[in-house]
Amino acid sequence: MTNKIFMPGCSLPSYNPEAVSKTAAYLKSVYPDMGAVQKCCGKPTAAIGQTEKFKERFADLQKDFDKVEAEEVIVACQSCFGMITKNASGQKPVSLWALLPQIGLPPELVGKAKNSDVTFTIHDSCSTRFETELQEGIRWVLKELGYKVVEPKHTRENARCCGFGGMVVPANPDLADRVIKRRVEEFETDYVVVYCAACRASMMGIGTKSWHILDLLWGPVVMQGDEPPANVLASPVKSWMNRYRSKVGLNRCMAC
Amino acid sequence: MKHVNFSQPLYDTAQEIVDGCMGDAAPACQSACPMHTDVKQYVKLAAEGEYQQAVDVIRQKIFMPQVLGRICAHPCEAACRRNEEFSQPISVAAIKRFVAEKADKKENWNLAQAPATGKKVAVVGAGPAGAQAAVELRRQGHAVTIFEKLKVFGGMMRVGIPEYRLPRDVIDFEYGYLDMMGVEVKFGVEVGKDITFDELRSDHDAVILAHGAHVGSIIPIKGHEAEGVYSAVEYLKEISETRAFPRAGKRILVIGGGDVAMDCARSSWRIGADEVHQCSLEEMEALPASQVEIDEAMEERVAFNAGWGPKEILVEDGKVVGVVLQKVLSIFDGDGNFSPAYSDETREVAVDTVIFATGQVVADITDGALEQGRGGRYVVNKDTLATSLPDVFVAGDASGGAIVVEAMALGRKAALSIERLFTERALEADRNLEEEGAYKTRLDVPLPEGTVDTPRIHHNTRPAEERKRDFIQVDLGLTEEQVTSEGDRCLQCECKLCMNECVMMNDFGDCPKSLFSDFIEKKEMEPLLAYSCNACDQCTIVCPKDFPMKSIFMGARADFVKANNGHSPIPGHKAIEMHQKLGFSRIFTMAKKAVGR
Ligand SMILES: Cc1cc2nc3c(=O)[nH]c(=O)nc-3n(C[C@H](O)[C@H](O)[C@H](O)COP(=O)(O)OP(=O)(O)OC[C@H]3O[C@@H](n4cnc5c(N)ncnc54)[C@H](O)[C@@H]3O)c2cc1C
Ligand code: SF4
Ligand code: SF4
Repeated sequence: MTNKIFMPGCSLPSYNPEAVSKTAAYLKSVYPDMGAVQKCCGKPTAAIGQTEKFKERFADLQKDFDKVEAEEVIVACQSCFGMITKNASGQKPVSLWALLPQIGLPPELVGKAKNSDVTFTIHDSCSTRFETELQEGIRWVLKELGYKVVEPKHTRENARCCGFGGMVVPANPDLADRVIKRRVEEFETDYVVVYCAACRASMMGIGTKSWHILDLLWGPVVMQGDEPPANVLASPVKSWMNRYRSKVGLNRCMAC
Repeated sequence: MKHVNFSQPLYDTAQEIVDGCMGDAAPACQSACPMHTDVKQYVKLAAEGEYQQAVDVIRQKIFMPQVLGRICAHPCEAACRRNEEFSQPISVAAIKRFVAEKADKKENWNLAQAPATGKKVAVVGAGPAGAQAAVELRRQGHAVTIFEKLKVFGGMMRVGIPEYRLPRDVIDFEYGYLDMMGVEVKFGVEVGKDITFDELRSDHDAVILAHGAHVGSIIPIKGHEAEGVYSAVEYLKEISETRAFPRAGKRILVIGGGDVAMDCARSSWRIGADEVHQCSLEEMEALPASQVEIDEAMEERVAFNAGWGPKEILVEDGKVVGVVLQKVLSIFDGDGNFSPAYSDETREVAVDTVIFATGQVVADITDGALEQGRGGRYVVNKDTLATSLPDVFVAGDASGGAIVVEAMALGRKAALSIERLFTERALEADRNLEEEGAYKTRLDVPLPEGTVDTPRIHHNTRPAEERKRDFIQVDLGLTEEQVTSEGDRCLQCECKLCMNECVMMNDFGDCPKSLFSDFIEKKEMEPLLAYSCNACDQCTIVCPKDFPMKSIFMGARADFVKANNGHSPIPGHKAIEMHQKLGFSRIFTMAKKAVGR
């Protein structure tokens, strides 16, 4: 068996530490030997052009990988997926979304939403637009849960960006706003499912009701009229508190 | 921030994009038009009902929209994407005619001219080539005199193209522009007869020969000297001038398969023929004439003998009594040389008049001063229209053109050469030779999503039996509704597919080509441009050439950071640096191997 670790990334832990813990626990039930790393992949540093700084930072992460002797990194963030693919020496990223169809969902969750009257529009992450297996996994999970879904006009490899990518928000907020507005314009339903917490924050920022797929997996069944979880990422203090809680949760999970 | 030194690979990629980007590539219609009229734009305006604006767009390039709207051989329509895909091109010419009839007003004509230069240019011929050359020269501030053998404007448009296709008042109205531009015209002066070529040269600083191809050609088959045999040039000129041709009989055979032949055949009805026949080496499917001309000739019941060549003209008492036709097997030999082969099969047509519409030849009006090639075309430099005489240029049919709009482009080209001659620059200097004539566009894009084949509407003709006996115009032109629906069919061909996907590039330019040629030229880039890229790759996904815009923006960011002591030049990115510090700090990170290992 290859040595696996779980790496939730940054925005997911900042957004929903419970989902991180529950995911880690479930993965651990399947792979009892699994470890975990919570650290940034350095994508924002690379994105703003700090090439040297990025090298330092990724080396820092690489040290963690080496320390825990990771061979496969189960990632819940599409940026991590890309950065590890490109930069890691010896580790292979495995997207959680591609893995779930292989290991299955916890049996008690299968079909839990079959009575939901909501149809979710799927928003794909643009950074993994060519990762079809990952995209299939998302559709598989939603189907297993029992949700009805529709695809927007630009989907999968043609998905349009949420406006967050490339660290544009701090540089050109007005533009980022126009980008996300154009993205949601083509959605045909008011309920959106994403698999990147940053995408979700972009949508929530302009009042589009959106759920992270892990909200749907571990949280309550969503029915027409339900409100999505709050836009935690809009508050730095809450985000960092969550990030901390996530770390604690992972430590706890790894200890048992 | 210090001066930013962008790395060479960025410039290399940018150059690749600048060289290959189709963002500024003309639609096929526009590049096929020798005058490069902005077809796409005026068709759109026409469809929107903005007729005045549409005319303004047309007039930026051509001064006779109504004439061309009626008789232009419209290479734009042949090249139109809808023709390529569905054989249903946009009716560009008919739309042009409509908007010009509706909204073209003399008071809006652009009379701008450079200050007088004191230079004098003689132009021989008031056909489209000479007229366009004169207009261009006046715009440059030179004095221009046109010498015209006839007493009227228009050249072959006047004495070749029949008036049922092009009413003469339309020519005169639009040629009124010449007078308004201060072009002097000497009618009824034949160069080579009333004034010599040498005199013309010594009286002027430069000369443009634009006297067309007005010598009819008669193929010397047996019987060609009989009474009743005429050339198309002679035939159509006289009909144009008098609406009659008393030397013709009642049963007419026209030899030829081109537009000139169609004009002769159809004119024959109008001067009172009882039977009109045609014959040509080419089969029906291969006739050189335009489809509209063929269709309208068929409607008027011209009897076609396409694929039959004239073997002999039968003569009695010195007069034509018939023609023997011979079945054509092939026109060209294995090497592609003109070498018709016939079978033994023949057919006889009893006629009393034969018209040869088999080409027009250019006369020599220089008394041998200039060399002439095939069909009498003067030998010229194709790029500049220069001749062996430094002050003499040739334009229009006399230099190898074949249609009106091409003659105009050649006229303009000759004027552009004279401009260089007068300013003592090389004739090839500072000009985009490709754009001075028709060319094949670089634009190569997928059909816009959802494009379906829709039929074209291109004319409203009067019933054949009514129209074939008069000289009133055959085509009444499109209606407003037809123009709208026809214009709406236009695909507005362009690339800029990336610009459709990317929100931000639109804030900075109109296509990657312009964005990056700016970058290469100035060796500068606005930081905000580089930092507005979402790195989403949508531009590259839709780009037919897969150009990697993102890699330039991301690469530029690295260079900005280098020039800025390791930091992003964007103030808002300070927060990201803080964020990243924390994201790697011990407080928020962990790394655990599984227990038991
Ligand atoms: C029957 C016919 C039908 C055609 N139909 C079409 C059509 O539908 N669409 C299209 O685009 N093209 C058509 N063409 C072609 C088009 O008419 C010519 O390509 C175009 O007119 C050439 O323009 P030009 O200015 O070079 O010469 P021309 O139009 O021939 O003008 C030359 C002028 O020079 C004058 N001239 C000649 N010799 C002298 C001299 N020695 N001294 C002074 N003046 C002189 C002539 O009188 C004439 O006015 C047709 C041609 C013919 C013959
Ligand atoms: S998609 Fe954009 S970059 Fe590519 S050729 Fe067209 S205009 Fe140029
Ligand atoms: S569809 Fe319109 S823009 Fe495209 S080639 Fe035809 S006329 Fe020109």
